[in-house]
Amino acid sequence: MKRFTQALTGFLCAGLLLSGCGPKPKTPLVLFAADSLIQPFGDLTAAFEAEHPDIDVQAEYHGSIQVMRHVTELHVKIDVVATADQALIPLLMYQQKDPETGKPYAAWYLRFATNRLALAYTPKSQYAAEINGKNWAEVITRPGVRLGLSDPRFDASGYRTLMVLKLAEQTQGPVDLFSRVFAGQFTYPIKVTDEAGLTRIRVPEILETRKDTHLVVRGAAMELLALLESGDIDYFFEYESVIQQHGLKMVSLPASLDLGEAAENPNYGKVAVLLDFQRFASVKPEFRGEQIGYGITIPSNAPHSKQAEEFVAFLLSRAGRQIMERDHHPLFDPVPADGYEALPPGLKALAAASR
Amino acid sequence: MKPSPFVAFMGAASSLLLIFVLLPLAAALFSTTPGSIFQSFGDPEVGRSLALTFSASALATGLTVLCGVPMAYLLARVRFMGKRVIESIIDLPIVLPHTASGIALLLVFGRQGILGKFLAPVGLTFTDNLGGIVVAMAFVSLPYLVNLSRESFALLDPELERAALVDGASPWQAFWHVIFPQAWNGVTSGILMMWARGISEFGAVVILAYNPKIIPVLVFERFTGFGLNAAQPIAVLMIVVVFGVFILLRFLMQARKEE
Repeated sequence: MKRFTQALTGFLCAGLLLSGCGPKPKTPLVLFAADSLIQPFGDLTAAFEAEHPDIDVQAEYHGSIQVMRHVTELHVKIDVVATADQALIPLLMYQQKDPETGKPYAAWYLRFATNRLALAYTPKSQYAAEINGKNWAEVITRPGVRLGLSDPRFDASGYRTLMVLKLAEQTQGPVDLFSRVFAGQFTYPIKVTDEAGLTRIRVPEILETRKDTHLVVRGAAMELLALLESGDIDYFFEYESVIQQHGLKMVSLPASLDLGEAAENPNYGKVAVLLDFQRFASVKPEFRGEQIGYGITIPSNAPHSKQAEEFVAFLLSRAGRQIMERDHHPLFDPVPADGYEALPPGLKALAAASR
Repeated sequence: MKPSPFVAFMGAASSLLLIFVLLPLAAALFSTTPGSIFQSFGDPEVGRSLALTFSASALATGLTVLCGVPMAYLLARVRFMGKRVIESIIDLPIVLPHTASGIALLLVFGRQGILGKFLAPVGLTFTDNLGGIVVAMAFVSLPYLVNLSRESFALLDPELERAALVDGASPWQAFWHVIFPQAWNGVTSGILMMWARGISEFGAVVILAYNPKIIPVLVFERFTGFGLNAAQPIAVLMIVVVFGVFILLRFLMQARKEE
């Protein structure tokens, strides 16, 4: 017993000592990014840290809206914010002020990359052998097929999935595709209204699937990836970059549906998703269909803005571009800036003023 | 009488620990208005979620009792090879990160999982439904039931059982009429602890069943999706309800013991 007590005490003390020692502390750089950036930004971060051994990048990945809410609702002090929808930055960060400084959370962003949505699946998915670009809409609505949906209240790929399905219904059919996928699936339904050429999809504040539904909802698309790989869902709409990074199979969508083509903006803009929040949020975010644009900014209350600037500059550098390209997520060239005048001086030379 | 320095030291150390537990709970309680807690009570999603959480954990506990109590008895009373190994296996869910447990369960109970594949045709599925919540809660909290019940069986005098057998009782009768009633207090503590641990489970449940949402998932969703103000009243409501239920159950158990 005595030996056991001594061993246990020694073990606990060693743990305490180990937790206290280590190399000299580095400057932490807190990065919050959309979860579809997890792989390229992981590689980017490793390369950046190798170049800046005094900086420790502490990255967190969430659905894009959740990334925003960490800044504006949870008041987390973040150095770099990167979202899968640049529209979220003016909508939530320009408009809201940090109670400590009285300044808006951001005054500029860089629209650094785009993406395309596609239908992800694996050879294990039901009807994997017969799905193609022509029959996908019919296949995903077959009985027994389980479709994943990342929560449109928190994740840009979630509300973009709603847009894609609505656009597909309007252009290639079947004419009841949207209701085939969503009707009867939720306790409080997703509603659709048509007004003067704009189809508005209203997502309720409470989104809970009913018993035995064919839809599987998760907070962010990355969680669906694991369920796809385990065979618990058959298909879900995911960004092409992520599908390629994970070596999954995909049904590519035409440019009129994949939200990746600037020339299709008038077409994409025919649908909008409204997050119909009544209680918890002061703003009811509405997203109009448009070409996917990833946005990056440094919040006005970033504790390490100098290091954050170095990180963004590294992303836009030749090395950063190569890493992003290798991970199937190339950057725009040039990278347009919104709020160009407010950009940190070091970044102005690397960006172009937005239209 | 003045306490001895030894007792005073023990008392001071205990007070620190008590403050450590109570301070966050009090902070949560006092930073929320009673109005918003009542509002949460009226929120249909919160009500549903609360009922689901408590009943799923009760179901998980009830099902585990069927196998957990016999195992506790075996571990306490019967000598056999590999007992230590089995005890370690039972403790594993406490040590495993709960997200890892969730992934492991998905590989077994998922639609393509080792068991899930065979159970789906008979209508038993475990993703995004009560079944998933129950297996996740049962997996992570069963050590509490088995360990507390085992300790309770081990404390009983083996002579009692032997006497019952000598007097002509069958092993079943000896267990039901002599052993089990004596061990009952320990077993109920185990049941209570397992149920309580099940209620608070998040990591494993969220992987198998994000929907329907149990309270820990709902609090997390409201917190990360809508912020502190949306999550706090539910968290406080949960603290109040769990505290109330626990006090009541402890009181009932004490009353039974005194009987």
